[in-house]
Amino acid sequence: MRLIGVDVGGTFTDVVFFDADTNTTLTHKTPTTPQNPSLGVMNGINELCRRFSIDRKTINHIYHGTTTATNTMLEHDGAECGMITNEGYRDIIHIGRHQRPQHFSIQQEIPWQDRPLVKRRWRKTVAHRITPPSGDVLTPLDEDGVRDIAAHFKENNIRSIAICFLFAFLDPSHEHRARDLVLEVYPDAFVTCSSDVSPQFREFERFTTTAINAFIGPKVRDYVTMLEESIAKEGYGADLHIMGSNGGLATSSMVAERPVLTILSGPAAGVMGGAWSGGQSGRHSLITFDVGGTSADIGIIQNGQFAEASPRDTWIAGFPLMVPMIDIHTIGAGGGSIAFKDKGGAFKVGPRSAGARPGPACYGFGGDLPTVTDANLVLGRLDPDNFLGGEMKLDLAASTKVIDNLANELGMERHACAEGITTIVNSAMANAIRSRTVQRGLDPREFSLMAFGGGGPLQACEVAALLAIPEVIVPPHPGITSAIGLLTTDIKYDAIRTAFQVSGQVDHQRVETMFHDMESQLAHQFDADNIPQDHVRFMRYADIRYVGQGYELRVKIESDHFDEAAESALFSQFEDQHQTEYGRSFPDSPKEIVNVRVSGIGVSTKLEKQDKPLADQKDDALLKTTECVFRMGAELITAPTHIYDRSKMPAGSEWEGPAIILQQDTTTVVRPGDRFRIDDNGNMLISINI
Amino acid sequence: MTNLSASPTSIDPVTASVIQGALQNIAIEMGYKLMRMSYSSIIRESEDFGTALTDATGNQLAESVQSTPLQSGPIPGYVQNVIKVFSERGVSFKPGDVIMHNDPYGGASHGPDIALIVPVFYDDQLIGFSGTTAHHLDVGALSPGSCGIVDAIDVYAEGLQFKAIKVYDGGVRNEAVWQILKDNVRAPGMVVGDMEAQVAACQIGADRFIDLVERYGLKAVNDASEALMDYSERLMRQAISDVPDGVYHATTCIDGFLDDPDRRDLPLAVTITITGDEMLVDLTGTAPQVSDRPINMPLIGTVDISIWLTIRSVLLDSDIYGYIPQNSGLTRPIKLHVPRGCLANPIFPAPVIARFTPGNQLADTVMKALAEAVPEQVSAGIGNLKVIAFSGLKEESHWVHMEIFEGSYGGRFNRNGMDAVDTLYANTRNNPIEDIESHLPMRVTRYELREDTSGAGRTRGGLGACRAFQFLEPGGFSVEGEGHRFAPWGFRGGNDGQTAELHLIHADGKSEALTSKVPYHTTEIGDTFFAIGPSAGGYGDPAERDPKDILEDVLDELISPDAAERDYGVVIRNGKIDDEATKKLRSA
Repeated sequence: MRLIGVDVGGTFTDVVFFDADTNTTLTHKTPTTPQNPSLGVMNGINELCRRFSIDRKTINHIYHGTTTATNTMLEHDGAECGMITNEGYRDIIHIGRHQRPQHFSIQQEIPWQDRPLVKRRWRKTVAHRITPPSGDVLTPLDEDGVRDIAAHFKENNIRSIAICFLFAFLDPSHEHRARDLVLEVYPDAFVTCSSDVSPQFREFERFTTTAINAFIGPKVRDYVTMLEESIAKEGYGADLHIMGSNGGLATSSMVAERPVLTILSGPAAGVMGGAWSGGQSGRHSLITFDVGGTSADIGIIQNGQFAEASPRDTWIAGFPLMVPMIDIHTIGAGGGSIAFKDKGGAFKVGPRSAGARPGPACYGFGGDLPTVTDANLVLGRLDPDNFLGGEMKLDLAASTKVIDNLANELGMERHACAEGITTIVNSAMANAIRSRTVQRGLDPREFSLMAFGGGGPLQACEVAALLAIPEVIVPPHPGITSAIGLLTTDIKYDAIRTAFQVSGQVDHQRVETMFHDMESQLAHQFDADNIPQDHVRFMRYADIRYVGQGYELRVKIESDHFDEAAESALFSQFEDQHQTEYGRSFPDSPKEIVNVRVSGIGVSTKLEKQDKPLADQKDDALLKTTECVFRMGAELITAPTHIYDRSKMPAGSEWEGPAIILQQDTTTVVRPGDRFRIDDNGNMLISINI
Repeated sequence: MTNLSASPTSIDPVTASVIQGALQNIAIEMGYKLMRMSYSSIIRESEDFGTALTDATGNQLAESVQSTPLQSGPIPGYVQNVIKVFSERGVSFKPGDVIMHNDPYGGASHGPDIALIVPVFYDDQLIGFSGTTAHHLDVGALSPGSCGIVDAIDVYAEGLQFKAIKVYDGGVRNEAVWQILKDNVRAPGMVVGDMEAQVAACQIGADRFIDLVERYGLKAVNDASEALMDYSERLMRQAISDVPDGVYHATTCIDGFLDDPDRRDLPLAVTITITGDEMLVDLTGTAPQVSDRPINMPLIGTVDISIWLTIRSVLLDSDIYGYIPQNSGLTRPIKLHVPRGCLANPIFPAPVIARFTPGNQLADTVMKALAEAVPEQVSAGIGNLKVIAFSGLKEESHWVHMEIFEGSYGGRFNRNGMDAVDTLYANTRNNPIEDIESHLPMRVTRYELREDTSGAGRTRGGLGACRAFQFLEPGGFSVEGEGHRFAPWGFRGGNDGQTAELHLIHADGKSEALTSKVPYHTTEIGDTFFAIGPSAGGYGDPAERDPKDILEDVLDELISPDAAERDYGVVIRNGKIDDEATKKLRSA
């Protein structure tokens, strides 16, 4: 079995090859082609095969992390869409929750009003209405009305159509009927039904999710189709799978139909890769810390499992999104974040970023504002001659100049200013981690901080120290963690139904039927993907709240048949989780099962082992010794710091900070008093001196 | 990631930044948990709650960002009054205390916005307060729900008053108080559940506050807080300095009670005097208080917040300035003068429970006064809001559901007005139709924009919304609202918007028009409560609006071809601009 993982980043497209029979892993990097990312993807795969003389026909699967869906939303250049919805409710996606995004602003934009996913002229209504609790028909669907609208869309070349009916989560048949009618009239249409994309209550969020799917749909579908064709045309034997936001892979046909599932494709792969690398060293409680040029992505792994986002906390480009996603907390703080003095005289860092162009001043592309990377260079934490494995020279004088400018404005000394930039950015990152741990009843001291991306290992030890996290882990290839993550996961599909069942009156039969239906639906999907039944397993969950609450907690159901015993175990588990999350539970209050969910896993071949370190003795690792600035409590000190070449550090070797470890794709900074070692699995494990 | 240099305190800018970030983070966590734990939709969906930390004298240190401004803003006022009352009574704060307070003549915004406050101790020293407020469904007023009590004749008729009551005393729960509370409110399960959530959120805030002091030391935390207030003050002073010195005046009117000649068409007057980096806001000229109807506005908790929030939204617009920490420093350069006995500074026991929409009209008046000074930073007149309590009785227990009905924003210098949103000092959320109908005997039969009503202008006013609720069982409702008589003002040549309307449509199709204030009114099965929201004013001369933008609005059916021709002089036929006819009409 031979696999290729290919992840498209902002600057580079990373490719990882794995041969399960010989347990060989190979990697390759090629520039990303932003205009048409599939070119970069094909270049990367082709180059890797050429470079290592791999026969294209022997590749079984290609797993891909794509930014097409995300970028289409961020750049707002999706399809001109239409919507068919109930008469009387034309403006659900325009009014939203009638709340302004910002409290204290007159001039603000409202994303869903100022850049609508579906313009009002293409939001058409038909007579139709069903009612809760069981979907009784109040007004039957006006089928001729649907046909007329479809004809109108066809005439105007509105090809991507969202069908959004109130309460469709109770009974999808009316949306499906409308879809069929549209396709009769307009067979080329790309139709998305709200009950297929996100069959759960809250109409604004569900309709918006549906509209997002319609908006990005044609583009993602074309991208996936084109890539699939290229793969076949260029002689690969492989099929294509795409990473979903839920931390699992989906077939290209699934993604072509539900592109909305891939909004967090790349970051999700990063979390999976981080979790896998930590697992190699037996670490299963991890905080993944992926720092790039403009942002830091934080994920939580407990017992090897990632946390899933609350559907009420997930947003893309200012729009709410209700699909299963890994809980990835992103903050606007990275290497390119710009430091400045604001109008009130405050010392601020980010969220504005210099990005890759012009980038930090030290890149020499004309950046003239001080960034986190400039601060690290001035502090001696980056080696101007050994950035990106020496591919890029950094201009220390340029960094010094911009840092001095800011220091003068703030009335600070140069190093204090540079160190201040890193401390402010580190504390913002620590606050972000705190919001996902301490604030959820988790103790960060029980986790390891898994640092990757270009900037993670630079900041990780200081961030860990702020949170009393005892250990930082830097994997062997921190720059390609997302590509590696692609090869460490399974095929995963989710199903959901809104149930609204209150404790004491739960209809067990009805709930069991819902679970059963969802499992059959997913089994059918796996079957269509040619995944053998014995490779498939299901996990059941329920979203529960106290009656009257508006936010649910997701609880795993251990039993595979839903009866009274399962119900009571479920509610008792809910009480425990409520206690952990909020510090309180209310055992006497009635509880409500709001949604029931099934995750289906189709087990696939994965990476097995991380590369072992090749070096066999310590002596060549030390490159030089230099002066670096560190904060020790309230003091700044300058300490002689060893600079090492990671590729020369053998397994089992132990070292002490202060130290800077260079490698191809990142730089790791270890503080005075921290100790570290390279373990047999290739990870660098740093013990933080707290 | 904020702090400052040039601070009078000794703290270094980096430590200050770190501590300020942490304080903000605490208030956010409190809000996050309160919202998720609470029961009633007015808190969890409408987000009509607030959380904040204050120092030991009640100066605000940080507030949650997700709550509604009219809730977090008043918390310092609640805390300061509790401190005052305790000192008058000779009562001291103890670890383990939880204090309940809702006295509208003692810092509370109005009676239903009940605060729960926890004093925070470190090494036996009182170092601050962790407070939350939330709008409760029912506080035992004369009719169900805690809004639309528009016939209350004094504060006693508005429901229970808690004046600095220890509901936990040194960690011991005062069962008698809780029992009195349960016995005197409708929907006690929801109300008490929400209060428990408030207590839990306060305690989380207190714990985190202590952790922070343990990490950095009390002095550093105090210094960082002081530095933060100075920073906010400096920003506000700078923003005021940028406004030309002068006297700016505006008057608008509230409906009051349109069916009562003695209590209608009441003026709100605002005179703003800018001198250097200071501002005086004088409400002289505002109508006298209405002593026996609850549309008076508490000076502390409603009027002050309405003024401050409007000023900061205009002068320090977060879309331009980024998020600025809300704290007591921001208000230091602003002085208020409000004559005692007017609508905006009533004398006890004049009722105040329905002060919400008058207060928002005051905010609009403040913006109108500022409009003269900084015309590019304001919007034309806003459409005001309505709050409705729907209720019913089921097997001897009440259900109560509150909804805030949206308004709209006037046109802006560079953008059209926002359609169908909460305005100025309010920023709550509506309830999903699919949630309402799944849990209440009501059906939402329409929710759409109100077409063809916006104030014409170079940028158009925002559209209001039409929203209809049908009763599936007998029940009742009560309403407090504004904007039925006076249309939102157009600005710089823009047209006025359109007033709001309210109708009760009976099952037989007969309809009755209602005023903007309706005391408890019973309903039968099939009755439909139909609200037509106000559409806001236009900004600038409609003749300057680009015909292409008008075509877009016509294609989107936001305005009709007739309105395009009448208001803008743009002729649109068959989805296309008739250039010749337009040219002729516009030059006429």
